[in-house]
Amino acid sequence: MPKLTMDAEVNGRKVRREIQPYSRLLDFLRDNLNLTGTKEGCGAGECGTCSVFVNGKLVKSCLMPAAKAQGTRIETIEGLAGLGDLTPVQRAFHKTGASQCGYCIPGMVMAATAALRENPGADIEEIKERLGGNICRCTGYTKIFEAVEMAKAVIAGDAPETVLEEDKVGDSYIGANVRRLDAPSKVSGRLKYAADMKMHDMLQMQVLRSPLAHAKILSIDTSEAEAMEDVVCVITEEDVPGNDGFGVFVHDQPIMARGKVRHVGEAIAAVAAENVLTARKALSKIKVEYEALPGLYDPADAMKPGAPVIHDYAPDNLVKHIPVRKGNVEKGFAEADLILEDDFRTQQVEHAYLEPEAGIAYVDPDDVVVVISPSQNITHHRHMLAEIIAKPINKVRFIMSPVGGGFGGKEDMIYQGMLALCAMKTHRPVQLNFTREESLIASAKRHPARIHYKMGLTLNGRITAISFDMLSDGGAYGMSSEGVMRKAAILSCGPYEVKNLKVDTRAVYTNNTPSGAFRTFGAMQAQFATESMMDMAAEALGMDPFEIRRINMMKIGAKTHTQQTLETASLDRVLEAAETASRWEKGVPNVRGAERDDLNGPDTRQPCTLGARIKGSRNETHPYEKVA
Amino acid sequence: MSRMKRGRGMAASWYGIARTATIDRAGAWAELDDGGTGKVVTGVTEIGEGILTVLAQIAADEMGIKPEDVTIGDNDTARSPEAAHAGATRQTYMIGNSVALASREAFRVLGEEMAEHWDVDINDLRAFDGELWAEGTNHRMSMDDAVATCKARGIVPVGSASFTAHGTGLDPMDGSGNPWQAYVFGTQVAEVEVDTWTGEVQVLGIWAAHDVGRAINPRGVEGQIEGGVVQGLGQALMEEYITDKGHAITHGFAKYILPTSLDIPQINSIIIEDPDPKSPLRAKGIGEPSLVPTAPAIMNAIYDAIGVRIKTLPATPEKILKALRDHVPGHTQIARDNRSLRAKTARHGAVTV
Ligand code: FES
Ligand code: FES
Repeated sequence: MPKLTMDAEVNGRKVRREIQPYSRLLDFLRDNLNLTGTKEGCGAGECGTCSVFVNGKLVKSCLMPAAKAQGTRIETIEGLAGLGDLTPVQRAFHKTGASQCGYCIPGMVMAATAALRENPGADIEEIKERLGGNICRCTGYTKIFEAVEMAKAVIAGDAPETVLEEDKVGDSYIGANVRRLDAPSKVSGRLKYAADMKMHDMLQMQVLRSPLAHAKILSIDTSEAEAMEDVVCVITEEDVPGNDGFGVFVHDQPIMARGKVRHVGEAIAAVAAENVLTARKALSKIKVEYEALPGLYDPADAMKPGAPVIHDYAPDNLVKHIPVRKGNVEKGFAEADLILEDDFRTQQVEHAYLEPEAGIAYVDPDDVVVVISPSQNITHHRHMLAEIIAKPINKVRFIMSPVGGGFGGKEDMIYQGMLALCAMKTHRPVQLNFTREESLIASAKRHPARIHYKMGLTLNGRITAISFDMLSDGGAYGMSSEGVMRKAAILSCGPYEVKNLKVDTRAVYTNNTPSGAFRTFGAMQAQFATESMMDMAAEALGMDPFEIRRINMMKIGAKTHTQQTLETASLDRVLEAAETASRWEKGVPNVRGAERDDLNGPDTRQPCTLGARIKGSRNETHPYEKVA
Repeated sequence: MSRMKRGRGMAASWYGIARTATIDRAGAWAELDDGGTGKVVTGVTEIGEGILTVLAQIAADEMGIKPEDVTIGDNDTARSPEAAHAGATRQTYMIGNSVALASREAFRVLGEEMAEHWDVDINDLRAFDGELWAEGTNHRMSMDDAVATCKARGIVPVGSASFTAHGTGLDPMDGSGNPWQAYVFGTQVAEVEVDTWTGEVQVLGIWAAHDVGRAINPRGVEGQIEGGVVQGLGQALMEEYITDKGHAITHGFAKYILPTSLDIPQINSIIIEDPDPKSPLRAKGIGEPSLVPTAPAIMNAIYDAIGVRIKTLPATPEKILKALRDHVPGHTQIARDNRSLRAKTARHGAVTV
């Protein structure tokens, strides 16, 4: 395809570059101009990380063909302030701690800048609406709102510039709101994440992924792909020199499918080529012959006799069972005045870090295989990779690049092994950047859980026994399932001293997308059930929810579910703090919302009515009846 | 009978700090460097939570310098000591304490030289924000000069440390064991508004009280609470990765719905400090615990508002509407009132409620 000549004014400078006719504005900025502050979080117009100004208008550069920006004036995050300087918006983001991983932040700063340029007097509701196209997975947006309001006040002259400066420190830096040291590089788009890095002579890698959930691989023919111009190497499991297998607890996953595939999206082969496009084309030339196998998609089916076996080492499809026993549950239930029994379910959840997986590998002059990636566990990855590529451990080096959000999802070594192999085979740096779709189908999720719960209580609210049974879909590979089951079991029955309990947590293999580590590691699934049960018990017994929890709470000296004696315990303090701060009106949780007097306080927000907001004070202008 | 219904719910929670049911360890090196600056090297740091800043604060406090004068070398298995992984709410606890101990050691090395130099008791030495002095004397010096003095005496002030958390494994039969040496507790209250016509739930307020041991950077702690709460909210109300026979249906952000700025409640964080007796810093952690009570607090609030108990997450509008429609003993009133109100609206086009 003939190239196009692109002329534009970018951050105040005239530029001319040869571009591909299919280039997006985002590619032009990132690839042709190295303006990597503009990020590709989704490539589909849904996250806002690629936001820039074109002729003064905020656009998502992943949606705009570069040719459409021909002759325009483009402003990116790098161009907002002079070199070494920050705008009030950027300084406010620094001050309030509005950047965490920072991956959404350039786009967020652009959207906030647009909001205040277009309406310097925008109120908080309007600011929220104007930021509505930008996703942040880390901050909970709250510090971002605070930053935009602070910048607005400074720009309008309603607040002195000094509010943007760091608070004075007292006599210790412990307990001080020191501004984040990494924020200036994040709010200005200068920080390089793995996908932003470039090395001389670097190849691009792409991965062939399974279209089937469970199938035998009869053959893989890579010859046609290998023969393509600009393809430098193609790898499959046959190229693995050592003991193939990784996982956080059990090493049951090969770096590329070995004999069979166990979930849709599993890596089968990888191509390294001079450019991404060629690597992608080469994938379509790899021929894989499959023999479909019966699949398992429901964790309950996985435990049935005669169920398809996913891993030979686990004929019962069990990844891990963790039992916890304390006291005598039969006796405990016999002592109960009230027994509640119910079932709860939680869903599979995606980490949705804004930075898709990315990485670079190369072999250094000392024959050390180096992998740079946003890995949350470089220590363990180094151990595993050394085994897989049969090298002494000091010949493997992992560098953790800035992590654009992890939440547990970047603990699994799902692509670093392929990168290392390609680098070893080509002796050139190799880069792999996941697309969002690839990240969604190939990375681990939060374990979905099915919990059967039985709780016995006396009439005065004391728990006498709990039986807790949790079944989790671990998906196709073990990953962190064992640890997640363990933590779920240990914390299962909540922060209450329960004399008699029987807890079982189990994760099983299926052919679904693997489940893995995710912020709380099983604890939220378990405690969601427990805390629902506590309120149901409170209603049945006519007690206030805080009261029933105080009756049962762990105190200093309490024996935990695993029979550990607590030397400290702060539940009494946090209960009281939450109750006081929320002005909680005591009462039985029996659908009393309509009668409550503690609603609609100044420490709540207004309901969002999307564009139909009415100005004025919240009580008289709430479009619906005042509830209280 | 109104269309919009409000309610409140609460939930309590607990969590363990650092790796589970095993011994956990982390190493760090520290040096008081030229110019009165500090150098810290450790194996794992930032994944966005702000640990770099926390470590700089800790090192600065131990070495008597400013956080911005601390350089951190990190995240490289071939150039830094092992500190294991970034997860398990272990960074402040494990890496924080190892950096504190290594920095303390570097400062002690400098202190020994300076005590001799000034002929004072080492225990009288104090340093803060780039200044070193000896209590009860008029000896005072910049840390810049103190490092130079130390080096002129032939000593480079370096330290190293390893910090251990003594978790034990669980018994395979009854699960007994001491999985963590530090625990945190939390409680959240949620206030919601449910639209009984559309089934939509808006969370208007969250009050989140969490014990963190000791807040090294309170603003950073708030940031972790706010982020955790919103992830909890997403899981409570909208997020669901769905597969059909192993094929993802929610394979983009158009299908996989995440909380945006319009979904965010006012989050009122209350930081409780119950110091950890087993570690020099006395801090614990907040990264994961902040997410645990959010979803149940929201479900309990929904029940308070409309008498529907959602036991299968997420509480999507479809699920709420179905539950309102379904015959739930004791709660038919809401569904019935709702139906007659909708009928009225259909007839009159609008309704004043
Ligand atoms: S909106 Fe453009 S990358 Fe997500
Ligand atoms: S800081 Fe917004 S996505 Fe991480």
